Amino acid sequence: MDVQIDAALKRTRGYWFVDGFIEMAAGGLFIILAGILFIRGHASQPTFTYWFLSVTGEIVIAKVIGILAAILILWRLKDHFTYPRTGFVRGKRIAATQVLVLIGNIILFLLLPILALLAASLLIASAGNVLASMPVWFPIGAGSIWSVLCVLAGEWMGLRRFRLLAVMILLTGIAIGIWQFAIGLPTFPVNMLDSVNRTLTSLSFLILISGAILMISGLVTFLRYRKENPTPYMEAS
Amino acid sequence: MSGSLQNLSELDRVIHEPARLTLVALLSSVESADFLFLLKESGLTKGNLSVHLSRLEEVGYLQVEKTFRGKIPHTEYSLTPKGKTAFQEYRKKLDPILRHSRANKP
Repeated sequence: MDVQIDAALKRTRGYWFVDGFIEMAAGGLFIILAGILFIRGHASQPTFTYWFLSVTGEIVIAKVIGILAAILILWRLKDHFTYPRTGFVRGKRIAATQVLVLIGNIILFLLLPILALLAASLLIASAGNVLASMPVWFPIGAGSIWSVLCVLAGEWMGLRRFRLLAVMILLTGIAIGIWQFAIGLPTFPVNMLDSVNRTLTSLSFLILISGAILMISGLVTFLRYRKENPTPYMEAS
Repeated sequence: MSGSLQNLSELDRVIHEPARLTLVALLSSVESADFLFLLKESGLTKGNLSVHLSRLEEVGYLQVEKTFRGKIPHTEYSLTPKGKTAFQEYRKKLDPILRHSRANKP
């Protein structure tokens, strides 16, 4: 019985993902971000500071505009497509303090493994080596963190497909790391901009492929949802 | 009577009914949901769902809010604080019973 209660709780939490729209929107946003990173990785950059400021600015703008646009589009899509078919659910209101704690935890969760990895690398290798191998460990690290986040979210909402997404993202990160290693790392003395460019390229591939995976997952979910709920619910006469 | 069996007799009968338990569980993790969502997720018929929702409203576990989404009338259901507490209590009492039955599985 407790299992059934848990299943009901999870089903409601995962209702936002029932139609695949959120995955498709997130995938689209990922692909745009990958495009920005890829272009930045191949553009001539006079200094590291210039690069850092410009790429951060562009990503922040793209994220803010992208997220706002995605919210508006999702709102309309769900209003016209999902709610008339399977009903409307209003998520729990979260207090401002809860949001701050959540953001803090996410930042810690994302930063700690990267810092730990960096510290561990510095213990066994020189700063130059760590910088040179950035295009390898960055996609592997990012892919691992995203896949863990994916698994946690999937378990919380009872969405089994998130396990598959996590495995695919992890494998993508590892594959990109191996590919970057195979084509050769930047040679000594390491040029920071070269290393950053290579890292951006590898990261943009990870984001691009993850975005495509999310889009495909969203599309499959949408098609299944539409098949199960072909028309808006009608009152039986 | 053992402690866990005593708990069994203390379970809230309004919530313990399977259909109502499903409805309360569904509503416990959201702010509110509409009739269609509850209908689809619970698998109940419209008549049955209405009866169970009315029963939950009667005992003060559920509140109903009638609004409009555009020009279409829209009814949302949410658990009251009393309903939330009752569900938490129910789960607290159910837990030792389930553990006891698992431990004594033949």
